[in-house]
Amino acid sequence: MRISNKSKWQIGLLLLPGVLIFGIFTLYPILKLLIMSFFQWDFKSIAGQQFIGLDNYKEVIQDEYFQTAFVNSILYTLVTVPGQMFLGFLVAMLINSVTKFKVGYRVLYYLPVITSWVIASLVFKYVFNTEGLLNYFLANVVHITEQNVRWLDNRWGGLTVAMFLGIWKGIGWNMVVFLAALQTVPRDLYEAANVDGAGAVRKLFSVTLPSIRGTILFALVMLTIGGFNVFTSIKMITGGEPAHKTDVVLTWMYYKAFSAGKFGYSAALSFIITVVLAILAVIQFNLMQKKDG
Amino acid sequence: MMKKRTRYDLLIHFILLSALIVVILPMVYMISTSLKPNGALYEYPPRFLPSIREVTLENYRYILGQGKFYINFCNSIFVSVAAVLITAFVASALGYVMARFEFRGKRFLFAFIVLTMIIPGLTLIIPQYELAVKLRTINSLEGLIPFYVAWTIPYSTFMIKGFVENVPRELDEATYMDGGSVFTVFVRVIMPLAKPGIASVSIFNFLTYWEEFPWANTVINDNMKRTLPIAISGFFGQHQFTQWGYVFALSAFSLIPILLVFIFCQRFFVAGLTSGSVKG
Repeated sequence: MRISNKSKWQIGLLLLPGVLIFGIFTLYPILKLLIMSFFQWDFKSIAGQQFIGLDNYKEVIQDEYFQTAFVNSILYTLVTVPGQMFLGFLVAMLINSVTKFKVGYRVLYYLPVITSWVIASLVFKYVFNTEGLLNYFLANVVHITEQNVRWLDNRWGGLTVAMFLGIWKGIGWNMVVFLAALQTVPRDLYEAANVDGAGAVRKLFSVTLPSIRGTILFALVMLTIGGFNVFTSIKMITGGEPAHKTDVVLTWMYYKAFSAGKFGYSAALSFIITVVLAILAVIQFNLMQKKDG
Repeated sequence: MMKKRTRYDLLIHFILLSALIVVILPMVYMISTSLKPNGALYEYPPRFLPSIREVTLENYRYILGQGKFYINFCNSIFVSVAAVLITAFVASALGYVMARFEFRGKRFLFAFIVLTMIIPGLTLIIPQYELAVKLRTINSLEGLIPFYVAWTIPYSTFMIKGFVENVPRELDEATYMDGGSVFTVFVRVIMPLAKPGIASVSIFNFLTYWEEFPWANTVINDNMKRTLPIAISGFFGQHQFTQWGYVFALSAFSLIPILLVFIFCQRFFVAGLTSGSVKG
């Protein structure tokens, strides 16, 4: 189809608002961030910023607080991503195998997903409080622990609570995504497997999982990005306490920028995280493709 | 044979229901706490449910008796609805052009927009804050909107482009035959036929804006301009000890619009979630 001049104008007008908003509020900040990361840019030097090359990057990588936060983010991602994928897939398989109440289950299992992070974090903070319901249940009802566990005032306790929250909130999303994928698996593959006398486990590994590989990859990439995006739950549950031991990369970045005024440092940190995520996404894609052949 | 099948089914329902109880327990506890008298919130041992005689609406009465929470509520509605409408229009226009026309730089533009999805949104907060200062939109409710729109453009455009591609091109051609322009096709063909897709994207965007916390918390200080998540988190730090009854009453109150959207738009939810995931 030939595009007339009038059409060109109209196409341009349709593109304009989106490109403009994206350009000003996303593209400009990306470029600005990149520039800031090479400058000494903080409260003190707000008048005259000095070009310092890669010094901010060096400072970030050598910073013990950043290293702790980075390890925390990695652990959070390593635990919550497989955790919610596994449980979400399990629930999807179960829902897929029943005939009644499918919609009801789907709606109810999805409720945690639509609950806002702020609210969900507060509920978890309240439940995991030292004098809270969970401790009471563990110590006085089922007698697993002798005394109340101090969940919220140490590194591993705080991270554990955030991880529980991350998994709890993610099951529903995985469930819906995997349910849709399960419905695309061709039925005759199962019938062929039945003819070959394959058992349930064999069918899972030889038919179901290979057929939904695309969805697994999609979920893996999205959730890994999501894992490094965690912010609100840490901020609300522990606030990084004690002594930044429960900080993740974004809460640490936020602290350095808005409490310590180290904008250059935070900008460099942001780029490091983005590069790490890009590399992870490429690795995940390659791993999944390899299984193909 | 039949009997075995039924028993197996019952077992699965049993597992699903038990797991479901664990999953929705925190939400039930939130509601139950909001119905307890505020004094009972610190009692030991803690109880999951209040006794029938104890059940009270005093927390809700307090929350709803404070004018400022209505303002917070209206603020959230205003920002979310405005951002949803603007994004729906802007991303539909982008998605339509990307799906239907060829022009120089198109592939690059689209790839770039989509690739920004990989960047954790919050990492841009420093230059965006600086931009907000320059544009004098600190402490401005309307000032939140362009940032929200910009964050959701990549995902929305990506999804809507997919929906537009499912609209048969013959319908475009027919409109051109009748003397229609690019705009006519957009308004008369694309918008109506991609409506379910645009709706599902909009629902997700609404949820995103409605619960957005870090950005609004950073740029809004004025009590009267706060959105609901900021108001809820505002219960902390003000007082020596947290009034959990109020916190959860306000939380439950703020979940109402979300639940309504969720219940009435269930089918769009699933469409929006799955169309991106099962293509590959």
